[in-house]
Amino acid sequence: MSHETFDDQVAAYALDALDAGERAAFEAHLAGCTRCESTLRESREALAAVVLEGPAAVPPPDVKAALMRRVAGDATPVHRRTDTRRLWLRGVLVAAAAMVVGGFLTGMFVAARYEAELGRVARETSRLREDLARQEAALQTRVAAYQAIVDLLRDPATRVIAMRGAGPSPTAEGRVVWHETAGGQVLVAKLPPAPAGKAYEMWTIAGGKPTAAGVFQVDESGQAIHRVPPGRGPVDVFAITLEPAPGVPAPTGPIVLASTK
Amino acid sequence: MGTMGEELVRRMAAGDGDAFARFYDRYSPLVYPLILRIVRDRTDAADVLQDVFWETWRSATTYDPARGTPEAWVVTRARTRAIDRVRSVRRRSETFVAPLDEAIAAAPSETGGDAADRASDRSVVTGALGRLPGPQREVLELAYYGGLTQTEIAERIKQPLGTVKTRMRLGLERLREMMKR
Repeated sequence: MSHETFDDQVAAYALDALDAGERAAFEAHLAGCTRCESTLRESREALAAVVLEGPAAVPPPDVKAALMRRVAGDATPVHRRTDTRRLWLRGVLVAAAAMVVGGFLTGMFVAARYEAELGRVARETSRLREDLARQEAALQTRVAAYQAIVDLLRDPATRVIAMRGAGPSPTAEGRVVWHETAGGQVLVAKLPPAPAGKAYEMWTIAGGKPTAAGVFQVDESGQAIHRVPPGRGPVDVFAITLEPAPGVPAPTGPIVLASTK
Repeated sequence: MGTMGEELVRRMAAGDGDAFARFYDRYSPLVYPLILRIVRDRTDAADVLQDVFWETWRSATTYDPARGTPEAWVVTRARTRAIDRVRSVRRRSETFVAPLDEAIAAAPSETGGDAADRASDRSVVTGALGRLPGPQREVLELAYYGGLTQTEIAERIKQPLGTVKTRMRLGLERLREMMKR
């Protein structure tokens, strides 16, 4: 039989569109066919890419709250049980070996455990060091932003404009510290982190026409400070939308924060 | 070196709840419109979303990067669970199968028109699927979003089964090509 039938079947299988009998037969073939396996893998990636390139929508917040409660109450997650079982099995094996060759293998086993532990500690240390460096860089950026805001506030021409949450994030809050010739800084809070491949984009709107003012991400606590460049004349409204990560020239996504005119 | 998603799943497998929270924040807004589009009911969609992410937490230890990205892992699961839900609802109510043109047109705009509904509408016409020839897109959508088997699709669009099979294969081939570029 040529492979052509399977090429059709793997496509239908990736779409979960095979009838039950045919599916069982195809699964038997799939188990030993690397060609179909890789076609299936790539098809699933392609279908996932179609889904992921679609616009995002933040789900109701109580879903996450319920999940986090379940996770917190999950005293014996699968991995713990697996680990215990594995350790137990290993214990039996070591004991059996010890009966045959005495304490020699037990010694090796303990040494291996120690080495593994040392390796783990070393990895942990280097991870912590990287974390610290990242935090320090973030802190410096933040201090520079604070300094810029203080400088702006010294100028009597500077205004502070409130932004209100809208659309998918009604509880989000924002302030724009704005100076017509010097530009400004926008501070946001309670925005959910943007999903993968997306970012928040700032807009200044004048005469009904939006002008892009840069993209930014929020930190894990939902906060961000973003600089709005000057040179855009009088602004009627400030707004923030959720957009594809590199930013877009004109808004396409939902407004998450906007100033009231 | 893994991607951010792989790193999060690895930490979830080690029981890291914070990593799970970030995994959820990262992928739930992308997966939710898919589920909503398939089940077409907000309460059901929220249920399915919770099941899907609970499963990712419980099965993070079995995730194997060699078998696909975390994105495909979570999307495939979400699509399967959403279709399961639709099928069980159909069985329960034993009513006539909802016209799938509706499923394909996603939530009708007059019933709401919030972000998620519009999201599912737009994805029909834009993106990689939108670049496929109409007949190929049609069979892919009937299978993927409508949960129909190829036999059911053939009956529905009144085409020979062989034609449906070929369209599925060609459509997926083209999607894979687009992804490589």
